[in-house]
Amino acid sequence: MLEVIIYSIIIGAIGGGCIAAGAARMYYAPEVQAMGAFRTLGEMNACNGDPIAHFSFGLGFFFSSAASTVASGALSQDVLHRIIPNWSAAALLLKNKNMEETVWNPRKMMLAGAGVGAVVVTFMNTLAQLIPEKLSLIAQNVLTPATGWLLNPVMPAIFWLAAIDAGKTVGIWGTTLGGVSALITGNAVPGIVLGILIGKSAEENGYKSKVVQILIALVVVMFVAIAYFRGFFGKF
Amino acid sequence: MDNTMEKRTFWDKFDAFMMKDNTFILLVMGAAAAIFAGTYMFINLGTGAFNDLSIVAMLKDGMDGGDYAAAAGFAAGFLIARVLEGPLVGLMDIGGTLQTGVGIGIPALFLSMGWQFPFSSFPVALLVGAMIGLVMGGVIMLIRKAVPEGVAVGGTSIMMGAGNAIGRYLAPLIVVAATQYDVYAGIGAILGCAIFYKWGKELAGGAILGAMLFGGIFL
Repeated sequence: MLEVIIYSIIIGAIGGGCIAAGAARMYYAPEVQAMGAFRTLGEMNACNGDPIAHFSFGLGFFFSSAASTVASGALSQDVLHRIIPNWSAAALLLKNKNMEETVWNPRKMMLAGAGVGAVVVTFMNTLAQLIPEKLSLIAQNVLTPATGWLLNPVMPAIFWLAAIDAGKTVGIWGTTLGGVSALITGNAVPGIVLGILIGKSAEENGYKSKVVQILIALVVVMFVAIAYFRGFFGKF
Repeated sequence: MDNTMEKRTFWDKFDAFMMKDNTFILLVMGAAAAIFAGTYMFINLGTGAFNDLSIVAMLKDGMDGGDYAAAAGFAAGFLIARVLEGPLVGLMDIGGTLQTGVGIGIPALFLSMGWQFPFSSFPVALLVGAMIGLVMGGVIMLIRKAVPEGVAVGGTSIMMGAGNAIGRYLAPLIVVAATQYDVYAGIGAILGCAIFYKWGKELAGGAILGAMLFGGIFL
């Protein structure tokens, strides 16, 4: 047991700190390379600096992750994707409501994330069975479908419309790559995002430019690689 | 007085360091170390993997049956795609690269080759994870530097606009999910949402709290 606690504290502090700092950097992407996810960004925007909203969003996933941990030892992706960033944000916002000085600050988010991470990971690995099954069940049945819909099809639709509204070049690239991405990976968002990047670069620099040619080559290689690894070519 | 000045410059420097592009490599190293060590813990102590049940199950199947092909193949696809995509959009997906790639795919790959060393002890696992993170972070920064200027400049505002628009959908979706799941959870979500709207708070928080509270009491 002591082993689990010590490992959990170390893992939670290091991982939580780095993930939370990466999440704060999302607000400065792409000028600064960030890590997280578009959905994490969208969900954090949904809570928009309200500590109660950030906390309760994290809490819902805390309950459902606890159920998964008890059942199988798998903490679920939500611990790093949702609980740690949102609870770190909530902790910082309690003292200062200014988002620029708190949630957008990678240093403060890292410190908060390290603390939250150590506590959450240790709790999950040792005391998760304390969470009443009923609450875990409600959280799972309400949040899992809601965030699932957000991921697909709401996000693809919003990104798709944004691409179409940005002009013919961006719209066509977004539509084509989004469709390909939906076919191969099951979600159109990665393709639409790349389509927007290629379309916008082509619009500004023309197809003769090296930037656009490299981009297109990279994206083609990427989709072929994913299709291969996911066994997509076997579907024909 | 002097003391506070010194302190401020230290935090300022720290802040500036945290905003540096290359600091990304350190962040990936830390996150990868933690996630890889989490998998070490799962293999040896039965808890702690940073991924969803269905994906961890693939690794478990490998551990029980010795066939890691499913886990390695599934995760490798994700890893390659996300490592290429990350630098292009300026946002690396931690789910695909780290939690699935480093947490499941790479361990499955090591174990399928019979390489047990990374899982021989906790410090070793942390170190191996950090090294994997170093390589990945390095590759991502290299791609980022290799792709010339001019990419993403115009595209960002479109994507950020879309990213901001997504947030607004969460609260209604939570209410819809709650109403479909259960009457009491649904009523709770509606009430919570309405009250938070009246108070000028973010609706998603009210919807979740309401659903949990009513569901917890009446279900």
